[in-house]
Amino acid sequence: MLRYIARRLAYLIPVWLGISILAFALALLAPGDPVRQILQAGGIDAPSAEQVIALRRELGLDQPGPVRFAIWLGNAVRGDLGRSYSTGEPVLQSLIDRFPRTAVLALLAVSLGLVIAVPLGIVSALFRDSVVDQIARLGALVGASIPSFWLAYLLILFFAVQLRILPVAGASEPRHIVLPALTLAIGAAASLTRLTRSAMLEELFQDYVRTARSKGLRERAVVVTHALRNALIAIVTITGIRLAALLGGAVIVETIFAWPGIGKYVVDSIFSRDYPTIQGFVLFTGTVVLLVNLAVDVSYVWLDPRVRLGEKSR
Amino acid sequence: MALQPVIRRSAAVLAGVLVAAACGAQPPSGPAASPAGTAAGTAKVELATTQELMVATAADGYRNDATRTNIGMYPLNANIFDTLVTLSPDYQVMPGLATQWEFRAPNTYRFTLRPGVKFHDGTAFTAKDVVWSIQRIAKQGGGTIGVSDTSAVAVGDLMVDITPKAPNLRALQQLVHPSWSIAKAESDTTKAMGTGPFKLTEYVKAERIVVAANDDYWAGKPTLRKITFRFLPDANTRVLALQAGEVQISDIPKESAKTLTGDFSVSRSKVGAYEAMYINIHGKQGYDLGKDPAIRQAIAYAIDKKVVVESVWQGNAEISQTMIPAGILGPEASRISGTNRDVAKAKKLLDDAGWRAGADGIREKAGRKLSLTMVVGFPNADVHKPMPEFAQAQFKEIGIDVKIVITPDTATYEKRLASGEGDIWVEAGSQNDANPCFLPDLLFASPRPGGDEEANMYGNSFAPGATFDAAIKRCRESTSTADVQKAATDAMKLLVDEQFIVVPLAGTYRINGISKKVLDFVVHQAGVHQRWETVKLSK
Repeated sequence: MLRYIARRLAYLIPVWLGISILAFALALLAPGDPVRQILQAGGIDAPSAEQVIALRRELGLDQPGPVRFAIWLGNAVRGDLGRSYSTGEPVLQSLIDRFPRTAVLALLAVSLGLVIAVPLGIVSALFRDSVVDQIARLGALVGASIPSFWLAYLLILFFAVQLRILPVAGASEPRHIVLPALTLAIGAAASLTRLTRSAMLEELFQDYVRTARSKGLRERAVVVTHALRNALIAIVTITGIRLAALLGGAVIVETIFAWPGIGKYVVDSIFSRDYPTIQGFVLFTGTVVLLVNLAVDVSYVWLDPRVRLGEKSR
Repeated sequence: MALQPVIRRSAAVLAGVLVAAACGAQPPSGPAASPAGTAAGTAKVELATTQELMVATAADGYRNDATRTNIGMYPLNANIFDTLVTLSPDYQVMPGLATQWEFRAPNTYRFTLRPGVKFHDGTAFTAKDVVWSIQRIAKQGGGTIGVSDTSAVAVGDLMVDITPKAPNLRALQQLVHPSWSIAKAESDTTKAMGTGPFKLTEYVKAERIVVAANDDYWAGKPTLRKITFRFLPDANTRVLALQAGEVQISDIPKESAKTLTGDFSVSRSKVGAYEAMYINIHGKQGYDLGKDPAIRQAIAYAIDKKVVVESVWQGNAEISQTMIPAGILGPEASRISGTNRDVAKAKKLLDDAGWRAGADGIREKAGRKLSLTMVVGFPNADVHKPMPEFAQAQFKEIGIDVKIVITPDTATYEKRLASGEGDIWVEAGSQNDANPCFLPDLLFASPRPGGDEEANMYGNSFAPGATFDAAIKRCRESTSTADVQKAATDAMKLLVDEQFIVVPLAGTYRINGISKKVLDFVVHQAGVHQRWETVKLSK
């Protein structure tokens, strides 16, 4: 098992290097001059050539791209992602400050989505074409079709403006997370319900399920211990992808609910051509996604003995 | 009664403004406040016992590092700091921490400072605080005025000279900007130690900034005890927060103005900012049709500004013939006549220039279609919606085909402008200082030889040449307000009435949704100059 994890970790190094090159190149290719943006953001609408040159030198932007990349990568390896052009704050610290907000929101949304989706998907599969199944499928279709921004506004209108039981936006109290988490959870639940249903249907018609039933196992054991466990591989895979995407920042939902996570932060950075933040973000979230994928891969070992066997046979 | 000092203060401000207008002297009172009439109108209203205001504002734009921090100053002015001079809602320079000023040739402004002013920690405000604040900006590159370490000199405890590095007689008009706020000498700038009517109590990055009343404020104790500014980046969320009763004031998009009813009203600035089209007169191949004066003039006469105001801006604008708020130009503004829709004249201009309608109604000349590219994206494309499509339809009526290009952000817009790939450029913005030459100078002065592409991007496309430059030079070098206004008007008249390079579309109001419990809130067109000390809440 440890060897498996070690080898998976080793695979991450070239991928991580690729991400860092991509992050740096993307920022370089983006149109616009960050120096002007910084000066204008500071109230200098028409910066003089001297001001532009001085700040460009101060930020090291007068150096050739490869030199800047080498310096940036060297610092990044030591945990220094530079300072934000816009806020002047260390990028890594800013990401670390904001990431827990995004992580809590993502985890809550995905957990809530799973709590809704897995039981509903199982019931839907077990009672195929029943009224419950029809309702679940319709709900999943609507949930998957409705754009998150639209859903967010609907939830605010209902819970905050009409009923006034939840706040419109913000992050200062625990109840502020309810509506953004619900918005994201509904989208997640919709796709996971459909996936759970189809994965369960596929497993329920397998020979091993028929064998388990013929052995006289109770239906609950057949469903939970045998069929669901095998269906979980697909569910865990999609959940991992969903979680990784949300950990990269749910930009629209964070913006609407004024949730100070990394999604909104990086979008602002893109508009202000804040290179260190953009590069740091791509590297940071790329690393997070790689680690989530690693966790998903490791979970396969536990879920599916065949993965372990495959490992031993090498 | 608590209102009386406010009424007296407001009345004093109004009286001061009138005196200043009549005599050309500086009024004796404080920062731009609400008109006396507004305060008097609320004299009978019973005030709420809890004077705590919640305001929704756009995303947090503050920097939080010691060298360039601007917490409480800019872009959200939380009134923690004062500036030497302020900008009234009708764009006049008013006394702030300076009560008087005089120009001293060749390049110096001498300011007499207000006595008895204290910082929030109780220490006295003196000239050394001004010197230190100016030096701080010098270390950041010199700011808009272009100051150096030695630009500010204390002449006495309450007198200071400010001399920009290079000749800049518009420094006075630029000093109104909150980026020139005066902080306590040697203070930790991230702690925001100012002399303003409110003092910083809490700042949570990207969430809120909270200020409390400064009861020792030199212009009188504010009625509001506390203001919480909540950073809500999404405009629709701000409107919903208003409707949910979570905030009492919020800027709102023009589309939402009509939806606010019941407990809310819409408050608009007294004057409008600008939305205008600039026509490329130096275009390279493919974008060179703007060189033809007949086409530029036809474009100007094709647009129905009344409809722009009523339909596009939904009544939240005024018809504008000047590029910037006309008030800055004073009485000179009336010399700019501008254009109004006259389709027959527009068509005749094109006919006389040899542009004949083709089979599809689009004009042609020597085998070339009269087809133009309109670039929309400053400050962002959303602001202009649906003006481009509206203009496109009106241009088609006179036989001009317009292709609309939307740029995703300002940087992309500027990149395209630097490359000159466009015929008509649509922009909107606000005037943040009292310098009437600022915008014409920035956008239309001839490019500086050897200057970089982006610095010269506007001039490369729009600069009319020597006559305009001469007017701008006079504007830069004049010392009297009247001369500055005259020179700026000359420059603008050339752009709008003579060369038709600029087609002003609308003077766009800044719009705020406010709870009906909010009293004496006067919307400043430039949000960075918004004042809060006169605001109060009724029961």
